[in-house]
Amino acid sequence: MRKFFSNRRLVFIVVVLVVAFGLMGGSVALRNRRQTPPLIQQFGNDIVGMVDGVVAYPVNAAQSGVNSFTDLLNTYSENKKLKQQVSELAQAKVRDQTLAKENRELKKELKVNKSMTDYSTISAAVLSRTPSSWQKQLIINKGQTSGIKKNMPVMSAGGLIGRITEVNKTNSKVELLSNTSESANRFAIQISGSGGKTVNGIITDYDSQSNSLVMGQVTSKAKIKKGTKVTTSGMGGVTPKGLYVGRVTKVTKDDYGLAQKVYIKPAANFNDVNIVTVAELDS
Amino acid sequence: MYRLSRLRFLFPIGLLIAFFLDGSLSKVLANQFFSFPYSMVSQLVLLWLVLAYFFEGTVKIPLYGFAIAVGVLSDLYYSGIWGLFIVLYPLIVWLTKFLARLFTDNFFNTMLIFFIDVVVFEFLNYWAFVLIGVTHTNIGDFLLYTLAPTLALNLVYFVVLYWPINILYTKALAKKRS
Repeated sequence: MRKFFSNRRLVFIVVVLVVAFGLMGGSVALRNRRQTPPLIQQFGNDIVGMVDGVVAYPVNAAQSGVNSFTDLLNTYSENKKLKQQVSELAQAKVRDQTLAKENRELKKELKVNKSMTDYSTISAAVLSRTPSSWQKQLIINKGQTSGIKKNMPVMSAGGLIGRITEVNKTNSKVELLSNTSESANRFAIQISGSGGKTVNGIITDYDSQSNSLVMGQVTSKAKIKKGTKVTTSGMGGVTPKGLYVGRVTKVTKDDYGLAQKVYIKPAANFNDVNIVTVAELDS
Repeated sequence: MYRLSRLRFLFPIGLLIAFFLDGSLSKVLANQFFSFPYSMVSQLVLLWLVLAYFFEGTVKIPLYGFAIAVGVLSDLYYSGIWGLFIVLYPLIVWLTKFLARLFTDNFFNTMLIFFIDVVVFEFLNYWAFVLIGVTHTNIGDFLLYTLAPTLALNLVYFVVLYWPINILYTKALAKKRS
């Protein structure tokens, strides 16, 4: 029988392995360090993104067709519920406008120009999703030319869904909050606890079993109630304050019994995202 | 001769469509593919490459070249991390050729070879991602929540698409001779 690992083949395999891992390690390091990928990579991504538009269009059209049909079936029961909410919403909207105006005036009085709650938004459509069980990434159809920069927070209809990780000229990649990689960026969030105390922390992990975000190492003694709304806190200076994340579902002690661990049910469904909004902090 | 056959158009176009459909299907059917905690990885590209080898007949498609090309596209567009799929796709082509010599050529053996291909592909993908720290799921979770559903999905692809692709190739090759 022929020897399987002949010398030449062995050398070839080792060289390929070394090159492959070198490339992987290098590109991960490069991605974490640089604001934009190298020009060649951007160029390639732009071309592929354009072609993807052609293939993705009929698929997306079919999806929206099916969606509108199922929506039609739910219309009656949904309409009843929504009618109730609309009347409440109008009231909330007017109040919101009044408060925003007052806020602006007070800021002027105090000579504060921009704060962490002032942000503008960029809308984008989702082109495609990485077919992988570990890299939970979406590819959206706006890039540098539309003013998108790395690390901007991304929201969908319900609430926060992730962060921009790679920006090309005309498309970019969004890493979802459900990504559990070690280099995944975590958001600074806050929850209002008992007695008007605010509990600050960061999203430390994602629990795929229960589809919830985990806010670990909470040392505050404040009691956190189930169902409390969770928003971004604006700490760190990249993410605006007050983006809706989700609701608290469970509060437990961590493994050592010293700190609290808060489970948050995300407001947005990470698996049903067609249009996203990228938030850009005004400065 | 690949250059003179109709596969010269059919194969690259099919490969591109398979490549983009992987992403589009993952997006459109995300609720089914990534229903917690399971996740299925759509691998139409792999299916297209493997079936091309079995159906090409006397026409020798330069599969390694195309495998590397589609690997570059995957690295660039889908993962953003270089060096993984560019190696994995050619490796799977090699593995398919190696295994094809050991089995006689029929539907079930082709399916078995594709099954082994997907297992090897996902295992190496998992192993590489663990090493570079993209994921830290343990092996039990990987087997249960990723590999099993992925195999199920891709075998469904295989069973559904085997005959249509077979007919496509037969027709393309028949036109060449007439």
